[in-house]
Amino acid sequence: MLGSVLTLAFERPAIDWHAVAPELTLLGFGALLTLVDIVWLERGRAVVSALASFGLLASMVPVLTLAWDGADRSTFWGAYVVDDYALVMKAVFLLAGYVVVLLSTNYIAEGDYWENEYYQMVLSAVLGMVVMASARDLVTIFVALELLSIPAYLMATWRKRDLRSNEAGLKYYLMGVFASAVLLYGMSLLYGATGSTMLTDIDAAVSGDGAPLAVVTLGVIFVVVGFGFKVSAFPFHTWAPDTYEGAPTPVTAFLSVASKAAGFVALLSLVFVGFWGRADVYQPLMWVLAAASMFGGNLMALRQTNLVRLLAYSGVAQAGYMLAPLAVAGESLATADDALSSVVTYLAIYAAMNLGAFAVIIAVARRTASAEIDCYKGLFRYSPGLAVAMTIFLMALAGIPPLGGWFAKFEIVLALLSPGTAWGVALGVIVAVNSVIALYYYARIASHMWVEAPPESADFDTTTPIKPPTSVSAALVITGAATLAFGILPQWVGHFTDVTLVVALPG
Amino acid sequence: MTPSGVLAASASGGDLFVAQNVFFGMIALVMVVSAIRCVTTRNVVHAALWLVLVLAGAAAQFILLGSEFVAVTQVLVYIGAIIVLFLFGIMLTKASMGDDDSVAGEKRLMASLVAVLLAVVMGIALIDSYSDTRVVIDEPQRFGAVSDAIFSQYIVAFEAVSVLLLAALIGAIVVARKE
Repeated sequence: MLGSVLTLAFERPAIDWHAVAPELTLLGFGALLTLVDIVWLERGRAVVSALASFGLLASMVPVLTLAWDGADRSTFWGAYVVDDYALVMKAVFLLAGYVVVLLSTNYIAEGDYWENEYYQMVLSAVLGMVVMASARDLVTIFVALELLSIPAYLMATWRKRDLRSNEAGLKYYLMGVFASAVLLYGMSLLYGATGSTMLTDIDAAVSGDGAPLAVVTLGVIFVVVGFGFKVSAFPFHTWAPDTYEGAPTPVTAFLSVASKAAGFVALLSLVFVGFWGRADVYQPLMWVLAAASMFGGNLMALRQTNLVRLLAYSGVAQAGYMLAPLAVAGESLATADDALSSVVTYLAIYAAMNLGAFAVIIAVARRTASAEIDCYKGLFRYSPGLAVAMTIFLMALAGIPPLGGWFAKFEIVLALLSPGTAWGVALGVIVAVNSVIALYYYARIASHMWVEAPPESADFDTTTPIKPPTSVSAALVITGAATLAFGILPQWVGHFTDVTLVVALPG
Repeated sequence: MTPSGVLAASASGGDLFVAQNVFFGMIALVMVVSAIRCVTTRNVVHAALWLVLVLAGAAAQFILLGSEFVAVTQVLVYIGAIIVLFLFGIMLTKASMGDDDSVAGEKRLMASLVAVLLAVVMGIALIDSYSDTRVVIDEPQRFGAVSDAIFSQYIVAFEAVSVLLLAALIGAIVVARKE
């Protein structure tokens, strides 16, 4: 009897250790961080930040060796795939995580927050993102989403003695859980309609004529709405401004870049691998979401007086730009490749320029203790370096050549125009119109910094230059160099982000 | 393309599963009534207890479908853990244990509107897709098959969940801890 139980046919999965090496490295450093806290107690505080950043950089090594190796790896029966697309996104997540750790180091140490636990949260969330980049089945995608979201909810409320941080965390948590429920419901509908959690199987099942169209449509809508919350697309953005404002600023940078990019990665895998053949379902949905996000985000950003809230709304608009190519992705295989490459390019460049903007905000807030736009008046007079850096990042976000943002927007518009459909052209025009609207509010901040005099009644020192701590300066240099390099040498980033996911279905 | 999962069109069409259908109807009725009572009752504790009936009904439906694992998980996790957590939450916070008129407040109309809309849309979609599909249960799903799947195809997700639980635990302690 026992023998028959023990001889159940279980096939031990052949594990490709190289393919999962980045995740395992990150996991190892996370465990090490926990051990340091347990063994060294207070003495460990000095090294946790360095250990976390080293862990993130060390995880880049296997990513690079995998890229050097070049072969596409598909493990666990296709549930976990390492290809160019996954590797590029893993690199973006790891480097963005590294910059966030740089931004956090002084902020968390000086605020006397729970340092070790904070970096454990960062590493866990980045692990979730790195897994997400490779996940090609619904269960893994969902678990990766939770693994990156739950630490993020907690990090948003990390300044626990501040009511606004509590509000930020609670709002983010409630909206995020609600979005997860909607997403899970959509996933269960897709599983019910197709009988598989694998994205490739789902694609084969939903593309055919025999697919239960009504259920598939509902499933796709629910899944897209669920991720709409994560990437803060209009009208699912309502949590973003309050959460961004209340959360610790390095956490806000993390949410606005890494967390948003992770949502996009899942959305891209789902659209391009999972239901690419159902263009009639997702294209109109993406069109409406993209147009609404661009207009909604930009028009609301115009009225903001707080720079963090402004960046929250501008992030909504940026999500709109990135959703736009998905509205034409299903036209042909060539269009799909263009659309995917353009979104990946945008994500990489967006990460650099947005993290840079937050680095300046953190540096300036050390002096002014505020992110109100009025505090930036006359910044050039007393702190020209930071003013120049901020101008670079803002102009990059607006898409002014020769800074990184222009190439990102150019690729998006090119992808929209390439199929030559009326809907694609219309969305391209909307992107152009919105870039002009966005330029207005970015330029307004720049003029505050350059033209106006420092506020006389200010309760902070406006005569001596602001000296950011070394780690923040390092973050500024990294993001600034990346923003400039992406703009001046666009073929360089274009070479890396020229990725492909869609495989033509047989027949 | 025929869906390859549990739902598959019956080719023979011979078996009627009379007993299953009768029990399905009875359990479904209990679930619907309990679910409506759950959201209309003015007493929070009663609402939680009505929810127990709904979840137990769902577990029973899974048994009828031959999915023991899901049914057992449903009872253990939802009734055993989540409802108990609800009740503890109600007890530990200052929520009133008796009738509370503020529970059924101003947002009632909107909530019922959303619920009815969702029910209609879902109903139409499911009827449109599956009205002529028969559920055929060849053999009950075995625990062994579930664990095989977890430790082979879904091993990454399984490991990720353990990291997730650890991270959630550490974070929750930090946030809840008194300073």
